[in-house]
Amino acid sequence: MLPTGQALDDLPSRPRVLLVDDDEVNLLLTGAALRERGFEVTEAPSGSEALAQLSVRAPDVVVLDALMPELDGFETCSLLRATPGFESLPVLMLTGLDDEASINRAYQAGATDFFVKSPQWSLLDGRLRYLLRSSRTRHELERSKAKLARAQDLARMGSFEWKRDLAGSFTISAEGLRVFGRGPQDRLDFISVMRMVPSDDRHVFLRLLRDVIAHTSVLITDLPLTLPDGRQRVVHVEAEPEFNEQGGVSGYTGILQDVTDRRQAEDRIRQLAHFDALTGLPNRRQLIWRVERAIESARRGGHEVGLLLIDLDRFKVINDTLGHAAGDELLIEVGRRLRSCVRHSDQIMEGVLEGLGNRSHRGLEAVGRLGGDEFVALLPEVADERDAERVADRVLDALREPIFVGGQECFVTASVGIAIYPRDGQTMADLLRNSDVAMYAVKSQGRNASAIYSPQLAGHGKQKLELESALHKALERNEIVLHYQPKIDVRAARMVGAEALMRWQRGNVLVPPADFIPLAEETGLIVPLSEWALKEAARQAKLWSLQFGFSDSIAVNLPSRLFERTDLVEHIHQCVSAYGVPHRSIQLEITENNLMKDLQNVIPSLHRLNEVGVEISIDDFGTGYSSLAYLTTLPISEVKIDRTFVRDLGITPQSSAVVTAIIALARALGLRVIAEGVETLRQMEVLHRLGCSLMQGFLFSKALPPDELERWLALTVLPRKAPWITQADGGPEVTRGGQR
Amino acid sequence: MTASSPAALLDPEAIRRLRELDPSGGNKLLERVVAAFGSSLERLLPDLARAREGETLDLTVVRHVSHTLKSSSASLGAMALSARCGEIETLAREGRSEGLLEQLDAMLQDIQQVRAALAALL
Repeated sequence: MLPTGQALDDLPSRPRVLLVDDDEVNLLLTGAALRERGFEVTEAPSGSEALAQLSVRAPDVVVLDALMPELDGFETCSLLRATPGFESLPVLMLTGLDDEASINRAYQAGATDFFVKSPQWSLLDGRLRYLLRSSRTRHELERSKAKLARAQDLARMGSFEWKRDLAGSFTISAEGLRVFGRGPQDRLDFISVMRMVPSDDRHVFLRLLRDVIAHTSVLITDLPLTLPDGRQRVVHVEAEPEFNEQGGVSGYTGILQDVTDRRQAEDRIRQLAHFDALTGLPNRRQLIWRVERAIESARRGGHEVGLLLIDLDRFKVINDTLGHAAGDELLIEVGRRLRSCVRHSDQIMEGVLEGLGNRSHRGLEAVGRLGGDEFVALLPEVADERDAERVADRVLDALREPIFVGGQECFVTASVGIAIYPRDGQTMADLLRNSDVAMYAVKSQGRNASAIYSPQLAGHGKQKLELESALHKALERNEIVLHYQPKIDVRAARMVGAEALMRWQRGNVLVPPADFIPLAEETGLIVPLSEWALKEAARQAKLWSLQFGFSDSIAVNLPSRLFERTDLVEHIHQCVSAYGVPHRSIQLEITENNLMKDLQNVIPSLHRLNEVGVEISIDDFGTGYSSLAYLTTLPISEVKIDRTFVRDLGITPQSSAVVTAIIALARALGLRVIAEGVETLRQMEVLHRLGCSLMQGFLFSKALPPDELERWLALTVLPRKAPWITQADGGPEVTRGGQR
Repeated sequence: MTASSPAALLDPEAIRRLRELDPSGGNKLLERVVAAFGSSLERLLPDLARAREGETLDLTVVRHVSHTLKSSSASLGAMALSARCGEIETLAREGRSEGLLEQLDAMLQDIQQVRAALAALL
């Protein structure tokens, strides 16, 4: 029933009115009038009665007579407002027409509105509906505000306001206070907020703020701050100007948001994108960016840029022997040391380089990791190449101290290649390639040094590159061959074995081992080469045994890394089985230096090899600076006296002393001794006299292709025609040893 | 302040509005209002009499009684009574007692006339 024709769709169908009046006549009439107009009316003749009614059933609106005996309307209204749940219940205070004081008191008591008593009921009706509607709107607003507050709370967001011409008019919402780690009752003025900001950032912010206000522009920035409990937060601030009716700026309103997590995530992403996860140094991407900026800046400033490519020597060996964890540890320490060699800056400056002044390129200086064991030092401004060389020296110096990883001290050296912009390249790629050429030059000249790029180096590098790729194909093209140098027992004047030596038949050229073995070791090709050599030696042993009854062993030289392979024994087993020769037809030679370097890793292999009958010979014996005591513990069968001692025999007394000592030691340990590099009859004579009758050298034969060796045996040894045979025959009995 | 006819005592417009609230008379509103006015007077008038008994007039009681009667008489269309009550209320609120007793006496007379007029209405 809508007798007044009011649009009531947004209101309860029968709004509930609590009508309070001590005057029975008015109570009756007003009640009747309101019921007539679609209200549900509860009458209360006094304030206390009204308050009691409230708790029974809450009305939508209260109509309250101001003047009543005992509890009057004002007191009733105050009590009502103090009751939880009725803080915003609409209350209409009825007053007399001429009663201004009552009107004011009504508002003070918390009345929503006042109404001058009038028998014109439609006026009261209209006023009540207006009150209900605005109350509904207000309720919705409050709910929306509460929702907003909750949402802001969840988003760690709040708002603030600043009125330009009002002192102390900077206010922050309760949610905003929480962003700053404060409770809703706390006061937080602008100065207190600024005190939480580190002074550098504060200066920047205040300058920005002055600028924004001066231009009436929008403020958008992030503010780092330290909360009272010490937490570091980043608060995002956005504010826009508010205008008064005259179009002037009256102040700013804005929002705050705690974006610490987002910023941390962004920082982390940036860190991952631009920095090496292992060493924390700038990564390849960041280095490229920095080098390009440095080149740009150098082009404008007309100065030079230095790029140092730093490659660790033999890092792979460390990685392979100590494991990747130790390798990583080592890289971290190397990174730390390298960082100290330059004015390293970790800052990422994406696009902010401009405007920092013309010295800003200095901030690009850094050491970065390209990957693996390759590092780069960028010197954004060098006076000349000597500047870069000085840094390279610092780098080499920094690595001189051993690095303790994997439970042991490691000595690491590096090869440093230097390229200078603009002389050695115009782009990052050019500079990197040319520093790489220079670095490889250092490697080939013995490592642990630095070199500046020159075009000649490039030619050399190119040659090497060709050699490397040709070597890769040499095996499959059957260009690698074995030559054999006989081992001779001069007492019996007969061959007692042979040492297999690798040769590379490259077209018409026979490439000597010194020219390709180091390269093969560097590139890892030495492994397939050695494996092939083992197989080929086994095949040759079989062939010779068929051709002339060969029953001794062929010695194959192996690098230590092959001894570290757990499948070495199995591989040898397969080689000898394939040709039906006994295990002892293969002998393995390892140089003393190689052996000592990797002793712990090599020993297990030596034992297993010894068990299956493969003898081990120590090559270049006497050149290692190690204690000889380890020999007693090793399952070896033979030592080979290094050719340098043999060469000086009969020339310097020291060499015969060394040879004598080696022979005595070997005899004490039950080892065979064989002398290498015997070229003269005199050397043979001395060796023989000192007690060494096994020899190898040009005096007897150089290394020969297998068929030539067979011919040499047939033409020289068997007919006993060579000069050394007659000489040996006439030599003294070997009885002395280990004495001067 | 002379006595007038009952018809003149009650504002016909006010009476019309009263009747409008209960057009069919089914709710007996008019009767109930007149009865309420009567019972209200029965409560108020003894209060007023007591207020006049003391050495000085109790202005608080006078003010309350006049205020209540001012609005209820207006609701019933007794505009003259309502106006007099308003005057008395103002005097009482301002603490002025000269002529107040005379006004109160006149008010009591007015009340008797209004009661008669209302009775005639039913």
